Amino acid sequence: MELHQVRYFLAVASTLNFTRAAEQCNVTQPALTKGVQKLEQELGGQLIYRERRLTQLTDLGKEVLPMLERTLASAEAVRRRAQEFQRKDVAPLKIGLAPSISASLVLDPIAEIAKFVPGLHVELREGAAEKLVDLLLEGEINAAMVGDVQDMPDRIDDWSLFEERYVAVLAPTHQLANRPSIGIDDLRETILLKRAECDVALKIQRAYFPEETLHPGHCSGNDLHLQHMAAAGFGVILAPEHMPRLPTLKTIPLEGDLVSREVRLLAVQGRRYSPALDAFVKVARLRDWSFEVPDRGVPHATVPEAARAPA
Amino acid sequence: MTTTRTPAATRFQPIDQQPDDAPPMPNQADKTLAQTRTELLSTFSAADWESYNHLVGWLRDTNVASYALKVGDDAPDFLLPDADGRLHSSEQLRRNGPLVLSFFRGGWCPFCTAELCALQAAKDEFESAGATLAVVTPETRDFPRQLKRSLGLDLKVLSDVDYGVAMSYGVLFRVPYETKAHYSGLGFDFGVRHGSPVWMLPIPATYVIDAEGRIRSAFVEPDFTIREEPAQILSSLRQATFMSK
Repeated sequence: MELHQVRYFLAVASTLNFTRAAEQCNVTQPALTKGVQKLEQELGGQLIYRERRLTQLTDLGKEVLPMLERTLASAEAVRRRAQEFQRKDVAPLKIGLAPSISASLVLDPIAEIAKFVPGLHVELREGAAEKLVDLLLEGEINAAMVGDVQDMPDRIDDWSLFEERYVAVLAPTHQLANRPSIGIDDLRETILLKRAECDVALKIQRAYFPEETLHPGHCSGNDLHLQHMAAAGFGVILAPEHMPRLPTLKTIPLEGDLVSREVRLLAVQGRRYSPALDAFVKVARLRDWSFEVPDRGVPHATVPEAARAPA
Repeated sequence: MTTTRTPAATRFQPIDQQPDDAPPMPNQADKTLAQTRTELLSTFSAADWESYNHLVGWLRDTNVASYALKVGDDAPDFLLPDADGRLHSSEQLRRNGPLVLSFFRGGWCPFCTAELCALQAAKDEFESAGATLAVVTPETRDFPRQLKRSLGLDLKVLSDVDYGVAMSYGVLFRVPYETKAHYSGLGFDFGVRHGSPVWMLPIPATYVIDAEGRIRSAFVEPDFTIREEPAQILSSLRQATFMSK
């Protein structure tokens, strides 16, 4: 397919009017129509219904639209980066992180894109996954990294980045601190510090303790709070393995790697990416995330075999 | 399955199904890509032939290759991550000499892995000709890393996330339904590999781009089993270098 054809189709899709689309693309209407027809030939069907005054997308048109928007935006990001550079623009990039995602995870990707996006200005926001989805849709943040999400709106693009396990984190003086691993029965009898609005807490509860309530410990929505409480001997935290820990804490694997989750990258479908966001999304989708926890012999953050099946 | 012949892709072991310690592919440096192609074609099952003929016929009928950039065109600039998530800009890659940019379909394609091994074998010659070599795949996640590891490549493997570069070079097409069905049947899920719900692929293409960003040679072939021989690329390179002097 050709860049121009895609541009013409996207202009028709956004204006639903061939005359205005042609003006927008700075071409004659017959040229625009011909380009769209060629794209339709290649894609194997009509993209647009043209009935008298009514112009609308066909099902095929709706199916390919988000992808073509992404592809075109990606193709144009480089030119926009050069323009920003000339104008010495500030390049804001707002990234939302779920409470269980440490900022340490995104520092290296940010450093990488900063080499190529002069004026990069990053703002990090913390919030529960559902809150971050709202912020994305409102345009308050450009991308988000989350764990499990209950209901993902269709308008959110969602890429699985890596899978990681959960580990037990506790004070070295804790009664379980000398175990090589910790099993479900141990957890049943110990006090767990609870992460408020935690995306995996529910999963753990359902999978292992469907009938009972665990010993309720203190709780916080902030990971550092929980770590200080654990260090003071208040109880055990279950934490994602990548999370940096206070030096006074000890990490013990869960027996049989009981709990794991996928870390996902979210962005809004069909929204034009800034050059900074474009570079961030690309780096995130290629990066070797297993690098984040270098102290284990085997790679543990592996890309799961089957990610969310695409349509 | 009652067919007596297994699909070519299975026999040729797509790279990402091999364990890490699998032996590297046999050294094919002594063979031309045309010879390797003949060998690979001789292992095609009836289903492979049908799919191959359909796709190549469709690409010719729709004349997809006519959109590809040609000699003398300006090469679109790009910024892409490599297999380790490090970014590379086209300006950087062609700063010190010509850039050889080769689009391939993915680590699951035996014609692509043969081409990559041949390019790897010729890498030193490219470098002594003053050129930089980069290969471009639509695959994301750890697929490019697995590919490099299993073939023992130290090439710059760039990931064309969301296909923007293939589109701007005019070598991108949407995989027709029949082809999608065939590849799905072989267990290749481009949705997962590319991170995109719509299945797209590049036509294999090899470009030589000079330091000013102008295309000096273009090899674009809708028959995905045919690739430019490294010797031919080298000769284009030498010509480009000679002409710019």
